[in-house]
Amino acid sequence: MADLASRITAPAGTPAPKVPSAAPEAPVDGPEETNLVDNTYEVEVKLSDLQNDQESPLYSVSSFDELGLPKAINDGLLAMNFKKPSKIQEKALPLMLSNPPHNMIAQSQSGTGKTAAFVLTVLSRVDLSQPTQPQALLLAPSRELARQIQMVVQTIGQFCEGLIVEAAIPGVISRETGVKSSVVVGTPGTVIDLIKRRQFDVSQLKVLVIDEADNMLDMQGLGEQCSRVKSLLPKTIQILLFSATFPANVMAFAEKFAPNANQMKLKQQELTVKGISQMYMDCPDEKQKYEILCKLYGLMTIGSSVIFVRTRDSATEIQRRMEADGHKVTALHGAYEGASRDALLDDFRSGRSKVLITTNVLARGIDVSSVAIVINYDIPMKGPGDREPDAETYLHRIGRTGRFGRVGVSISFVYDRKSFDALSNIARFYDIDLIQLDPNDWDVTEKKVQDVIKSSRAKADYAPNATSG
Amino acid sequence: MAGSSPPRRQSCQWASPDRSSIIADILVDDRNSEARHKSLLESAKKEHDRVRLEAERVYQQHMQKEEQQRLLEEKQRILEAKRREEERIRLEEHNAAERTRLHALRAKKIELPPTPKEPEPPKAPAPASIPPPVQKVLQAPSLATPINGTTAPQAPPTSTLFGGKKTMITSQLAAHNPFGAPRPAPASQTPATTQAPTAPNTGGSSLGGNATINGASSQTKPGQAAQAAQSAPQPSTPAAPDRYTVIHQNLKILRKFMIDQAKANKALKGRMGDMRREIRKCVGQLTGGVGANRIQQASIINLLREAMGNQVGSAPMDPSTFILEPRNPVQGALHNEHQLPSLFLYLLNIFAKATISQFINEAGARPETADPVGVCIAFVFSDPEFLWRGASLIDILMAKFRIVCPVLFGYRGNEKTEQGRARLGWWKDDGRWVGDQQHMDRMTGLGAGFAAVSLRKFANSKKDNPYPPRHYWAAMARIVNTPPAEMSNTQCVVLRSMIQNFEQKFVEFYGTAAIVALRMCLVDFPARAPQKTPAVGSLEVLGQVLKRDAGLHL
Repeated sequence: MADLASRITAPAGTPAPKVPSAAPEAPVDGPEETNLVDNTYEVEVKLSDLQNDQESPLYSVSSFDELGLPKAINDGLLAMNFKKPSKIQEKALPLMLSNPPHNMIAQSQSGTGKTAAFVLTVLSRVDLSQPTQPQALLLAPSRELARQIQMVVQTIGQFCEGLIVEAAIPGVISRETGVKSSVVVGTPGTVIDLIKRRQFDVSQLKVLVIDEADNMLDMQGLGEQCSRVKSLLPKTIQILLFSATFPANVMAFAEKFAPNANQMKLKQQELTVKGISQMYMDCPDEKQKYEILCKLYGLMTIGSSVIFVRTRDSATEIQRRMEADGHKVTALHGAYEGASRDALLDDFRSGRSKVLITTNVLARGIDVSSVAIVINYDIPMKGPGDREPDAETYLHRIGRTGRFGRVGVSISFVYDRKSFDALSNIARFYDIDLIQLDPNDWDVTEKKVQDVIKSSRAKADYAPNATSG
Repeated sequence: MAGSSPPRRQSCQWASPDRSSIIADILVDDRNSEARHKSLLESAKKEHDRVRLEAERVYQQHMQKEEQQRLLEEKQRILEAKRREEERIRLEEHNAAERTRLHALRAKKIELPPTPKEPEPPKAPAPASIPPPVQKVLQAPSLATPINGTTAPQAPPTSTLFGGKKTMITSQLAAHNPFGAPRPAPASQTPATTQAPTAPNTGGSSLGGNATINGASSQTKPGQAAQAAQSAPQPSTPAAPDRYTVIHQNLKILRKFMIDQAKANKALKGRMGDMRREIRKCVGQLTGGVGANRIQQASIINLLREAMGNQVGSAPMDPSTFILEPRNPVQGALHNEHQLPSLFLYLLNIFAKATISQFINEAGARPETADPVGVCIAFVFSDPEFLWRGASLIDILMAKFRIVCPVLFGYRGNEKTEQGRARLGWWKDDGRWVGDQQHMDRMTGLGAGFAAVSLRKFANSKKDNPYPPRHYWAAMARIVNTPPAEMSNTQCVVLRSMIQNFEQKFVEFYGTAAIVALRMCLVDFPARAPQKTPAVGSLEVLGQVLKRDAGLHL
């Protein structure tokens, strides 16, 4: 089936795209011709104009139809307004769906459809005639992310009859019945508990997906728990590891964790999404950051926005200030737990609040498609005493915008030597051109922001490819 | 490999004795004997015959195939021609039926009783995407029933048609009034050569024009007939320039003019940028929920009021360059003067621009966010303080819609051609077409935005609806009436997002007629599509979703 792109490409690669479309669309009746200048026939769109750039992570030739997915799944994709597969979906899906099942380590930029890629694999592998027998396990580093993935499975699978998806996160699975679903999405700790209590029958699991795999397999964090989960599962299970970032040390472990895996990797300079305009605001001092922050909202069209801060206190203070300025704000950080965290994030997801102020808990994975801007109110740091700039976190943070080829903006605040150095460090690491904004003349800054957005919109569909290997 | 070698060698061994026998043949004594010569000739002839026979056979086969192909094509051509003829006959029949009906209606229309009230009293100078001449006509229909009286006489066929229709409908469904004044799709008037089959345009899709849908609700047949009549007005409209495009140009000039003014006027410069950013911020802050946007709406109103007060002394300007139709002073209107402060017009323009941009950027990703913006638009443009000569200035917003989402106004185009894309409002950045994901996102947001603006309920309001629902109906009809050959993914995407999340409002306004219309949009229209693209498929899937979630059986 020919989707838009393939139909456009249709003129068969001939480098003579200016050929007038066959029929001179002529037989228009008389009066109409009057205001026609030179379009007695129409010119085919030039290939070069199409940005059908094979390098783009959103480029793909095939349609979802061609992937041979069951109709119910395909309808789910259409209902979600998915029109055609992104690169990672197009490249990785055939590998993941092939039989006998093969492990996979896949890296792709933020917002390029990784979640949908593994969800499609999971849905294709699940036998819906056994709705309460766990067959796929998906692990994520945070409760929010687990719930988000659960929602994606349910949405794409909305026409799959008999599909049950449960979230194995604290306080959700009933202690009496245990896990009674074919797809389980959870955090490693809760999953281990459930298996140990024999409330989670893992004997028939066919797929294990680990999202944000570099974070999950990091030995200083969740790595040990993930290894324990794996040791409890059938040995034949298909393992899929996904992330936007894979630092070298984690990669080595990942390859052991998922032996003989097919791999899709990115180079370091290819990690940033080109559709995100990255800027920084040179603030005269820390105090003025508040005011400058509020001013940003007049510079461009903003749907939702995410503001990353270092401490809970500054989160609360910013919330107060912004609410006074008419914004509806959610502040979400470690001080909240469980269900109240869910409720706060739901406010933001549903659009009841349009500003999310958060600490690093939400840097990864959270997908709210209308996020137009990410503000690094504080530059992300790591290590003892926050001495080192945290490049990975920076990347994941700004990846909350520019989802699936949309335009996004990130603005990082610097106000002293340390923050400036940290940011330039990160910029060097990824080879990014950061554009400076000046808080003194807002007319000028407004113009500049508009221009930057415009120029990166032209690049939005473009970004280097994942070299499959 | 080890296995494969020996056999090869063997075959060599077989061959060599052969070859040596040929050599032997040559060397043998009687190689020039006549007998041998003959026998060689004989075998050569045999070989020749074999080859010839084979060639003949293949040739025959080929001819047969070609003949078959030709027959097949011929058959198809005939079928096609037949279909077209049938179409034409059906059309003509409709035409005839409609004309008789029309006469009948004309004859009896005077005795019409005053009809039930409209859900909301639509506004007089109803914006119409079409050139001014038609517009007066449009204005009338919006005022509920008297339509017939006002429109029919002076009107080109369109209005007559609708006038006629309405008489029938009104008795059935009060809600029908919003059908107001759809008129022929401007499609044909576009630069479009694409619209080649213009006349069939309306008829081609056997599912008639706005009219058809209209009629379908009340009585199927007449409705269908109506559609035929619709093709009549088309030739009369086309040549006129598209007023919305002119307005759009004028707005650009206004923006430049303001920048120049600001250079000379310090007070203006000091305020203008801040006001602009404040409006943009407020539009961005809008969220769903009752009363959630009171503060934002109030600040926008205050800013516009401040601009209207014109403390900063911006130059006055004639608002009529930004509306479809010239207006005369009306009694009781707050602003009857022939000029308004340019800062006010500019900010109204900025407000419109901000909302359009919000539709594109936010609703493109999440269509449900369009609704609160639509509410705010209706709120601001209907505010009596900001009316000019008794009517809203919403044409400023609609001119922008016309530019960024032409399919709403009946423009069509082929996504594979340069001109087609231009007509569909496919954006260019840096001289390159934006990617299709981006384009479809834009269209999604704008479709939802248009619905959010045009499906507003003013029944409980003292204010007039600046853009009543009939415009929604008309836009929908213009898309659904596209002949299959001219359908585009863009249209499907816009149509889908016009419907999704708005089905309930639509049904509230139009009742059963809305359900029939939805059926046309989500069942018949995609079924006619020559190619089942994902965009087409997602219309069908929306039908399934409505059935599942809203119990709406189409």
